[in-house]
Amino acid sequence: MSEDKKQKLLEVKNLHVSFFTPAGEVKAVNGISYDVDYDEVMGIVGESGSGKSVEAYSIIGLLQSPGKVMEGSITLEGEDMLAKTSSEMVDYRGSQVAMIFQNPMTCLNPVYTIGNQLTEALRAHDKSISKEDADKRAMEMLEQVGINNVEKRMKQYPHELSGGMRQRVMIAMGLICHPKLLIADEPTTALDVTIQAQILELMKELQKKNHMGIIFITHNLGVVAEVCDKVSVMYAGKMVEQGPVDEIFYEPGHPYTMGLLRSMPRVDAESYERLIPIEGSPVDMLNPPEGCPFAPRCEHAMKVCLQKMPPYVELGDNHRAACWLRVQDAIEAQKKEGTEGKKNE
Amino acid sequence: MRKYTIRRIFMAVVTLLVVACLTFILMNAIPGNPWLSEKAPSQATIDALNAKYGLDQPVPVQMVKYLGNILHGDFGTSIKMQKNRAVLSIIMEMFPVSAKIGSIALLWAVLVGVPLGCLAAFKRGTWVDSLLRIVCTLGISMPGFVVATILLHTLCGGISGVKVFPALFDGSAKSYVLPCLALGFYPMCYLSRQTRTAMLDSINQEYIKTAKAKGLKNNKIIFKHALRNALIPVITYLGPQIAFTLCGGLVVERVFSIPGLGRYFIQSIQNRDYPVIMGTTIFLATFIIIMNLVVDLCYKLVDPRINLSNGGH
Amino acid sequence: MAENKRYKKFGSLQPNVDDIMKWNAELPENAFEPATSEEKENFIQDRKSVSYWKDAWRRLRKNTVAMVALAIIIILTLFAFVGPMVVPYTYKQQIRGSEALGLSHYTYEDIQAIHAYIEEHTGTGVLSPDEAVEQARAEAEANGKKLSRIEEAKIRAQASVNAESSEAEEETITESQAAKELGLKKKPFGYSEKELERKASGEKVFPHVFGTDDQGRDIMVRVMVGTRVSITVGICAALLVLIIGAVYGSISGYCGGAVDAVMQRIVEMIYSIPEMLIILLLSATLKPALEQFQNSGNGILQKLVTILGPNLISMFIAFGLLYWVTMSRIIRGQILQLKQQEYVTAARALGAKGGRIIRRHLLPNCIGQIVTTTFLQIPSAIFLESFLSFVGVGVSAPLTSLGSMCSEALSGLNTYPYRLFIPAVILSLMILSLNLFGDGLRDALDPRLKK
Repeated sequence: MSEDKKQKLLEVKNLHVSFFTPAGEVKAVNGISYDVDYDEVMGIVGESGSGKSVEAYSIIGLLQSPGKVMEGSITLEGEDMLAKTSSEMVDYRGSQVAMIFQNPMTCLNPVYTIGNQLTEALRAHDKSISKEDADKRAMEMLEQVGINNVEKRMKQYPHELSGGMRQRVMIAMGLICHPKLLIADEPTTALDVTIQAQILELMKELQKKNHMGIIFITHNLGVVAEVCDKVSVMYAGKMVEQGPVDEIFYEPGHPYTMGLLRSMPRVDAESYERLIPIEGSPVDMLNPPEGCPFAPRCEHAMKVCLQKMPPYVELGDNHRAACWLRVQDAIEAQKKEGTEGKKNE
Repeated sequence: MRKYTIRRIFMAVVTLLVVACLTFILMNAIPGNPWLSEKAPSQATIDALNAKYGLDQPVPVQMVKYLGNILHGDFGTSIKMQKNRAVLSIIMEMFPVSAKIGSIALLWAVLVGVPLGCLAAFKRGTWVDSLLRIVCTLGISMPGFVVATILLHTLCGGISGVKVFPALFDGSAKSYVLPCLALGFYPMCYLSRQTRTAMLDSINQEYIKTAKAKGLKNNKIIFKHALRNALIPVITYLGPQIAFTLCGGLVVERVFSIPGLGRYFIQSIQNRDYPVIMGTTIFLATFIIIMNLVVDLCYKLVDPRINLSNGGH
Repeated sequence: MAENKRYKKFGSLQPNVDDIMKWNAELPENAFEPATSEEKENFIQDRKSVSYWKDAWRRLRKNTVAMVALAIIIILTLFAFVGPMVVPYTYKQQIRGSEALGLSHYTYEDIQAIHAYIEEHTGTGVLSPDEAVEQARAEAEANGKKLSRIEEAKIRAQASVNAESSEAEEETITESQAAKELGLKKKPFGYSEKELERKASGEKVFPHVFGTDDQGRDIMVRVMVGTRVSITVGICAALLVLIIGAVYGSISGYCGGAVDAVMQRIVEMIYSIPEMLIILLLSATLKPALEQFQNSGNGILQKLVTILGPNLISMFIAFGLLYWVTMSRIIRGQILQLKQQEYVTAARALGAKGGRIIRRHLLPNCIGQIVTTTFLQIPSAIFLESFLSFVGVGVSAPLTSLGSMCSEALSGLNTYPYRLFIPAVILSLMILSLNLFGDGLRDALDPRLKK
């Protein structure tokens, strides 16, 4: 289709990332694919250790040894990101792709002022900018993220600001060079709920203004529902389900997604309804089992789940899941159709 | 900051007082009296001596009196080694030599150790790092007298034909070289190890990730973001090293026969010259505690996290 | 078929029909039967689960440096504890006739050859004044004359001049020159001539591998005993520090509030006291007190003091007073951190007593750090002990330690450098391997710290 052929902002195909630890190879990311377009927010959901952050770091080229991209491709506006040298990546970071991290408390350097840290991002990508101009841009940016009393803030140190304020600074820092893609790695996890809402609102607003794509990494489905257009659900380095946000929420195809939804508190739930946790803990990534990694925790687990990784089954437009249950559905439907077809014939 | 400074100074004063009292009490716990020597003096002589040195009064009175005297700079007089000479004047004669060697040693230790530590951190995992790690672990494993005697033996005529430095300390610039080298070796290795750890710690911090995500060049990340944060904790290691260097001086002064306070102190212990022991202990302790205080306050000054907030802990 | 690309709609499912058929064909018979919980269990257990200690040991084993260090530590320990049983000398035994032996010797035959050579080549023509007079008298008597006093004095003077000049001109032949002339070489280990004689007569004589000192004591045994003293002091000090630090830290961290505040002020104070000075002071003042106590009676305590020596005891007192602060801080920090966690609150809510909570819940969580800190206390205690012994306030005679051996050897450094360097090398090697192994231990036990 012609629409598909239009170049996307970011395309990740069959990405494999491994960590070579003394204990052996850990396949942190095991064959995931997705794309993000301009003006689009894509959520990546999964519990800690599922490979969300690793995958994000490989996009921005911050994967540290012993981590290594083993297979797959990452293209940003048609350019192969994996083929770039590290010094080319330096120029890309910040200006084309920016990243916001989880913990605003530790992500700002405690010994430099806010102003210093903001302008240094600007000046790294635009050598000709004067100090005054850089300061002006930084103050504009701070105002944009809703910080008042900007001139005073510029001279303050990170520890003098509150957590929410610091996350705003982090966002300002990410956006100051107008990147095309913003990766937000759990940007609201460390914040109070009220501040969370403000920050999410702010991010959506800024996205509309700058037409950028956002990859939003979180384990909080509530946040996903609020900001994302589409969602990828990751489990143990694999993408188990992917689709538009509404379909994921109303017609989840993978038991893990269902479990996540059931364990999420809802405002509209009946008062006696209980939250249902997912039993068990994630698999050991050092010795991943042959079959579906979620099988031991899955209430619907079948014999085949323990033996083979399920293939992806398309469940709708851009909605697919990797689960033998869905394969079973498909096979049964096919058989039914076959017999019906024979009857019809 | 002010609150912290006041509290810190108060603690230092209390510590000093405790050290002084402890010294005095320990000295008083010694059985017999200091006048016992080869020939037992008569009771009358002992009484006279006790009266002369105020030893006939109750201990608390003696203690208060002693502390009061110290405040006036009166550390008592030597009773054995240099009879009747004021302890303070002995200290004032000996200490400059020790202090000179100590400060030169510490200076080279900092100037060499810190850059070496940074180098090891940058080259982490390479042969440079391994080599430095082994040398520095060896450095903190060799007692001062081993380093000192090796230097003395190899460079001062022990091996025939090699006599680069004088074996006897004569106060010339050349005779300072080996003692300072020997004394500074341990702190150099120690600081280098600590700097490496601090640097690696700093490199693993999240703000380094932020700096990388901003697209800063590697050099800028290391020299602007990592180094400054790494050097702040290294300052705290300086305090204990000052104390260590002063005490390590005892050994080095013995090996090189340097007429410093350390050697004199050891001799006074061997000769049981109690006023000298007491005076020197209190003097050195005061010096070390004050240096610790200064280093601590410097640390707080460089670290903006504490500097601008009220108090801190 | 040409219609391969046909997609079928099954409700919202849209897989490729061919794919479905392929999956269907490849699946085993009972694929879609629910898995039993037993099967699920097996699925998990198939993966090796590694316990904390096993995992740590695996990491440690991969660390070559740490393993080499461990090997050296084991060898040194055997050297120190088994060695003195093998060597037939004791550390305070003064062997007559074996004073100041070097590291090497000539065999019995060689020595005799050398002596013969020396006798042969040392001129007998020069007489001492008395001998000259004696000879002259004999000559005169034989001639029927008698020497006058003046003549005697003349001969005496002449002879002494001769002797002096011959001493100046004709060098007496030394052992090494003689050996060189004869082409003989020294064999390793020290033997005295007496021992060589005994050896030649078939008796078994244990060599003085590192020679002997001026009082005829075997240096190797002394080094072994010194190493033993160092290791013992290190371990005892580490245990002492561990116990005091753990108790103090646990109480301080667990009680919190005013108790903690006061206890922390004390820790702060001890931190800034220069410990080395206090130890010197303690050994200066406690020594006379302990000596008096030692002589006061014949009880067990007095005997203990006699065995350890007053200096060693004051050193332990100093360790007990000053060196536990780091340990107590670590434990307090861990406990404060863990105290906030839910499972401790839960245990408390279930009515567990304070001591039980500390033992069952808090200590297991900081055991790695405790083990590392305790272990690294051993080399630092040995370091300190050697320092004090070198300065002369450490281990006291007749017991010896590596530090005091170095101290004794300092005066003869240029003549007998090995007497200083052998204990010094062993001391440094021991502390080095303990430090390296401790570093490895830290990396293995606390993977978070591993860089």
